[in-house]
Amino acid sequence: MSRLQADHLFKVFGRRPADESDAVRALVAGADRDALREDGVTAAVVDASFVVEPGQIFVVMGLSGSGKSTLLRMLNGLLEPTAGRVLYDGEDLTALSPRALREVRSRRISMVFQHFALFPHRTVLENAGYGLEVQGVPRAERETRAAEALSLCGLAGWEKSWPDELSGGMQQRVGLARALATDADLLLMDESFSALDPLIRRDMQDQLLVLQKKLKKTIVFITHDLNEAMRLGDRIAVMRGGRIVQLGSAEDILVRPADDYVASFIQDVDRSRVLTASAVMTDAEGPADPDAPVVGPDTLLADLCALAAAGPHPVTVRDAGGSTLGVVRKEKLLAVLGGLAAEEVTVGA
Amino acid sequence: MPRLPLGSWVDSSVDWLQAQFAWLFDAVSGGITGLYDGIDAVLSAPQPLLLAGILAVVAWWLRGLATGLVSFAGFALVDSVQLWDEAMATLSLVLVATLVTLVIAVPLGVWAARSKTVSAVLRPVLDFMQTMPAMVYLIPGIIFFGVGVVPGIIATIVFALPPGVRMTELGIRQVDSELVEAAEAFGTTPRNTLLRVQLPLAVPTIMAGVNQVIMLGLSMVVIAGMVGGGGLGGAVYRAIGNVDIGLGFEAGVSIVVLAMYLDRMTGALGRQVSPLGRRALAKARAATAKRRAAQLWAHRPQPVTALVGIVVLALVAGGSGFLGTGSPAGAASGHGKKIGIGYIPWDEGIASTYLWKELLERRGYEVETRQLEAGALYTGLAGGQLDFQTDAWLPVTHAQYLEKYGNKLEDLGSWYGPTSLELTVPSYVKDVKSLADLKGKGDRFKGRIVGIEPSAGMMGILKDKVLKEYGLEGEYEVVDGSTPGMLAELKRASERKEPIVVTLWSPHWAYSAHDLTKLADPKGVWGEGDGVHTLARKGFSEENPEVGAWLKDFQLDEEQLTGLEAQIQKTGKGKEQEAVRTWLDGQPGLAEQLAPQ
Repeated sequence: MSRLQADHLFKVFGRRPADESDAVRALVAGADRDALREDGVTAAVVDASFVVEPGQIFVVMGLSGSGKSTLLRMLNGLLEPTAGRVLYDGEDLTALSPRALREVRSRRISMVFQHFALFPHRTVLENAGYGLEVQGVPRAERETRAAEALSLCGLAGWEKSWPDELSGGMQQRVGLARALATDADLLLMDESFSALDPLIRRDMQDQLLVLQKKLKKTIVFITHDLNEAMRLGDRIAVMRGGRIVQLGSAEDILVRPADDYVASFIQDVDRSRVLTASAVMTDAEGPADPDAPVVGPDTLLADLCALAAAGPHPVTVRDAGGSTLGVVRKEKLLAVLGGLAAEEVTVGA
Repeated sequence: MPRLPLGSWVDSSVDWLQAQFAWLFDAVSGGITGLYDGIDAVLSAPQPLLLAGILAVVAWWLRGLATGLVSFAGFALVDSVQLWDEAMATLSLVLVATLVTLVIAVPLGVWAARSKTVSAVLRPVLDFMQTMPAMVYLIPGIIFFGVGVVPGIIATIVFALPPGVRMTELGIRQVDSELVEAAEAFGTTPRNTLLRVQLPLAVPTIMAGVNQVIMLGLSMVVIAGMVGGGGLGGAVYRAIGNVDIGLGFEAGVSIVVLAMYLDRMTGALGRQVSPLGRRALAKARAATAKRRAAQLWAHRPQPVTALVGIVVLALVAGGSGFLGTGSPAGAASGHGKKIGIGYIPWDEGIASTYLWKELLERRGYEVETRQLEAGALYTGLAGGQLDFQTDAWLPVTHAQYLEKYGNKLEDLGSWYGPTSLELTVPSYVKDVKSLADLKGKGDRFKGRIVGIEPSAGMMGILKDKVLKEYGLEGEYEVVDGSTPGMLAELKRASERKEPIVVTLWSPHWAYSAHDLTKLADPKGVWGEGDGVHTLARKGFSEENPEVGAWLKDFQLDEEQLTGLEAQIQKTGKGKEQEAVRTWLDGQPGLAEQLAPQ
């Protein structure tokens, strides 16, 4: 069973509830978002559906105003969907009473914020233990668990400090520790690394991936940075104008962009660090040259380039069992790195 | 444009409210009075310097040694200008007003921060409260709550509430919305979000609001003094009325001492109670720890030490306060019956009021005196919160009040008279002896007659009759102002020997302070002249036949009145009753004659 499922979610902001449900009907019938705006109705999220499996990092990518933050806030009930359902382990969150919903937020879903949202009047330890405090965990246990979460995030020894004494990256680690301390299975991360400078951001991304290997949480990660999306996401949803315009793996999106919008989006992505050998290989013609270098299908293009440049032969791609999957030709490698969609490349013999 | 009878609507709704909700107003009045009396009793119990010491220790604890020492010096100054009791009364008034204001303002502010509708509805109401001149609702306040500290406190609350509400609302609204969202995202209940996140982070702003509330409260004490609130406000009001610059300054400085103390203490308390403020303090202390001199002056005792200090001083204070008690046994016929006298701070009012206070106390009555503004005095008398007053100028000057409240008052007759209303010039203006002489000399007086409050009876007579009869219309303009303003103008002109015409009346101390010429009124336009009457609330003499009879027979001649006034001037403010005793000692048999056993 999937961990989290969004089922035809709509969020419309209007003056009256009646306007909002009218707008949903109009949108279902195919109305345009801009036309609705003239009536003073804002459709923030339109018909969003997706499934997140346990242990997955699901990234929602879009520019500001695309509705990604609104979508995220419907997943834990901070915003009530105008239409549609959110299923968490099969339970419909939209049908819960406010009290039951608070209970779910307290124990089973936690959140990491863009600007960290640490409580300035609490120490680092008290911040990390906040969720546990809400749960009513006794003080001694709370402090132990909060300290564990902090050390997991590399902040051991900073418990007594105050948030404003920490750097941005460290503050966000407190935010992460606060989210991890509650032992919630689902982690919602709202542009969590966007406020950090690029080096720290990379560092945090790496840390998150390391942690994720250990903890196997289910994560929904919001970002406007496609490189970040590609680095982190097992699956990526690209949003535009409130709609999910493409849903797939990083490679799907890079190699087969759903429309011109996505295509223009991916231009700036460093393909060599996202695409792997399997995306650029072609069928081998005849037996492989014994001198040709051999790689696995998961090898990044960045690594492939150096090998390809070293000799005259196409690089052979073999799986773990040793059977040849195909070869990577320099022409195709260059073409894909240059930004052409994989299908457009016809490789001359 | 049709005339909207807004005023008469308000008039009748005030009457209706008074009739329907008297029980509610009485309850509010009782509650506030109880609170005020309690706090005042605590503050007044210890020796002044001892309490000054306690307040200084509080300052030492909250702000450091330097502040503690300066606070002590400030309070010692208040004590040395003999305004200590007044200052404590004012402090009590401000504390009660602040307390009640906060109890109302903080929940309102929280509510407004959570609901746009409430905020939108509150805003104009708060504007109204803050900008409506206080005197406008003080008189209805007296009708509802009676004279004394209560209408003063209510007026202060009305005036100080808006910043309390606004700062609370602002404080909560400006808490980072991401923090509130974070609290919600972790399943915090709305109530706990308020208590654990919003309120703690709003504390600095709310404390700034508290500070504003206290400062505005202090700025209202003079107004409270005009409706019988007493305290430093009463002293200032009296000083203004008598152009007593010295007393005015002393009382004013005492208010400033209180204001600065309360300002610094609430500021420091704000940092103490706010979690963020405590952090900033700790940082600052770490920074100053390096400089030893700074360290000494900024030294602050541990809370425990401070507490012990305060408790010890308070115990000593309590002990000494109780030692001094023991009231003189009431003699003769009064049997401790309570009588309330109200007075306008005019010389003959003060003199006769304290004369009667002394006489009645000698006869075993318990007398309370209240200094009030004229409108407040009549309203209080008509409402039965005061028993009598001795300074009603009838039938002319105070005619307007009698017209409104006549059927609720009882005239016990005139004890001095006749008085006269007149235009007056300094004697160095040689050629003007009569109203008729003013004609054609408008240029010399810059065409101005310096008047008093436009509401005063004599101003009406002057504008409507006197100018017309003597053909002065057009040549002279009557300048509306106030009695203190007129007196100050007279003083200034006298010192520069400039020509001036003012409205004045007899008896008035200005005649002994300056060399003045009353302008003759050959046509008799000003009228016969008033008598100074004693007015009681309806039914007073029936309930108190003895006092009623004494007051009906009350008479003073000019020599007696001016002698008593001079004695009071000589003895100094705050010792009126002492002056009366001295004066009575020099008038053998007078006490017996005025209040026969």
